[in-house]
Amino acid sequence: MTGDPPPHPAERFDEVFDAYFAEIHRYAAKRLGQDAAADIAAQTFLEAFRQRRRYDPDRAGVRTWLYGIATKVIGKHQRSETRALRAKARLGPGRDGGEHAERVEARVSAQGLRGELAGAIAALPQGQRDVLLLVALADLSHDEIAAALGIPYGTVGSRLNRARTTLRKALGGTNPMLTLEEQHG
Amino acid sequence: MDEVRMVREAYAEPAPPTAREIARARALLNDPPRRPVRWQWWGLGSVVAAGAAAVMAISLAGGGATGKPGGPATTTSLDARGAVLAAAYNAERQPLGKYWYSNSLDGQAYIMRAKTGTYAITAATSESFSWFGVKAGMGEAYLARDLPAHPQTSRDTELWRKAGSPTSFHVWSNDHYYTYPGKVSAKWRSSGPEVGSNPHGGGKFLVDMTTEELQNLPTDPRALAAKFLDMSGSGKSDPASKAMGIRAGKMPPAALARMRIARVGGLLNGAPMPPKVRAGLMRALAEQPGIHAIGRATDALGRTGVALASDERPVTVTGEWGGPKAERGTYRSRAVIIFDERTGGLLAEQEELTTPGGPYSEMKPGFIINYVAARASNWTDTKPSPPAERPFH
Repeated sequence: MTGDPPPHPAERFDEVFDAYFAEIHRYAAKRLGQDAAADIAAQTFLEAFRQRRRYDPDRAGVRTWLYGIATKVIGKHQRSETRALRAKARLGPGRDGGEHAERVEARVSAQGLRGELAGAIAALPQGQRDVLLLVALADLSHDEIAAALGIPYGTVGSRLNRARTTLRKALGGTNPMLTLEEQHG
Repeated sequence: MDEVRMVREAYAEPAPPTAREIARARALLNDPPRRPVRWQWWGLGSVVAAGAAAVMAISLAGGGATGKPGGPATTTSLDARGAVLAAAYNAERQPLGKYWYSNSLDGQAYIMRAKTGTYAITAATSESFSWFGVKAGMGEAYLARDLPAHPQTSRDTELWRKAGSPTSFHVWSNDHYYTYPGKVSAKWRSSGPEVGSNPHGGGKFLVDMTTEELQNLPTDPRALAAKFLDMSGSGKSDPASKAMGIRAGKMPPAALARMRIARVGGLLNGAPMPPKVRAGLMRALAEQPGIHAIGRATDALGRTGVALASDERPVTVTGEWGGPKAERGTYRSRAVIIFDERTGGLLAEQEELTTPGGPYSEMKPGFIINYVAARASNWTDTKPSPPAERPFH
């Protein structure tokens, strides 16, 4: 909390729990909705607890490690994530209007995501969505994402680029120059 | 178009986990399911299909695992679901831990006017560690230790070195000179003035409320303001707030704002507030007259958070009790309270310089004049002991 060395999961797991439960809960709530968040966060920490002796501080920080586990847990529920995102995309902001849409919207798990963007995120392959949301929601660096997801460093960059290109196209307003730069950059 | 930023901003801020949810998650760790569980949707209350992963129904009450690949989680055996529900039921009735502790430190700035260049130190610094059993009879204790006087920032450290790295600091303190040592023992005191232990105590905390009273606090900001921030001495405010208010008599709004900041800081530092109550207190404080959101602020331990502040007020050092001429004059400062952005926990309460003058003529706005920093507070199942390591080196 103040520059002390970070607690090692094998030795002081309760400190790890205290330091990161709320944050992992927040990530889970954003991706799978408020109702699911507590259970997803609990599953994440249970799994982290089981793996705690395998944690290697040279590979990743504790926060990164936890985000990796949380992302895998969320990945097992990807159908709920994409279903909710697509439902949100169909409804859009007030497109159907009226009480019914609002009630359904309230039950949809994605947290207040704007229609088109939600649909675009839902349409991404899971690998790209994970990378994109770890950047956007968890602020992880490419290095950290590579360690968290167990993928090569280069893959992180290419997945992020493809995700961004897809979103840009889906939302219209493409700047051809930007697209060209992406392709040659 | 920054797609990443768009995505980030498109996700609304969710509600933080409730105390029950946290307790439930902890309970799982203390009593994990006996057999390795393939990921199921525990969904206590909300049933959602488990997606592509095969769902195996596990009998947690004993016996072999019965496989039922695919299908929604509702096909889990009654035993497993029942066991989970029973665990949750128990978790809700568990206290959040056996003991709660609060570890904080406070400090005061002094200005060293060396010939080699003026620099600031923090001195009169002490750290406190208090712990309380969740129920009366489990004990409570208050420990404290002094911390060494030290230069504030790296720039101050440079100038301190230029000044010959003094190991003690002779400064004017209110109405007398005093020498603060740069080296002190790191040992915690448990006996002596203002420290001690009571093995039969517990059940209440620094703020004199029981665990149950804390869990039953309202979460609505207006109700919390009426209870804790109404310093008028009338109405429904709690005894401590009334006492603060009455002692102060009729106060101008700026002073009331400062007192409210101190009250909230004291509450957050002094008791295991349920997360929703904590959030409600922060909102209640933010709505008080004379209190503003000032964006990010950094505390004396270098931690950054989101902050509320009172309006600035002038302080004049007249020198009527003596002291160096260089300290005389008027400066302005304000009370600031800083919260951890991620958890909403209290980081610190500090007095910040807004207009240089008097003893702080050479300092910049934002300079920390004095502070109370919350180092850590938490529930634990074993008797807490204070940290050996100092909060700064």
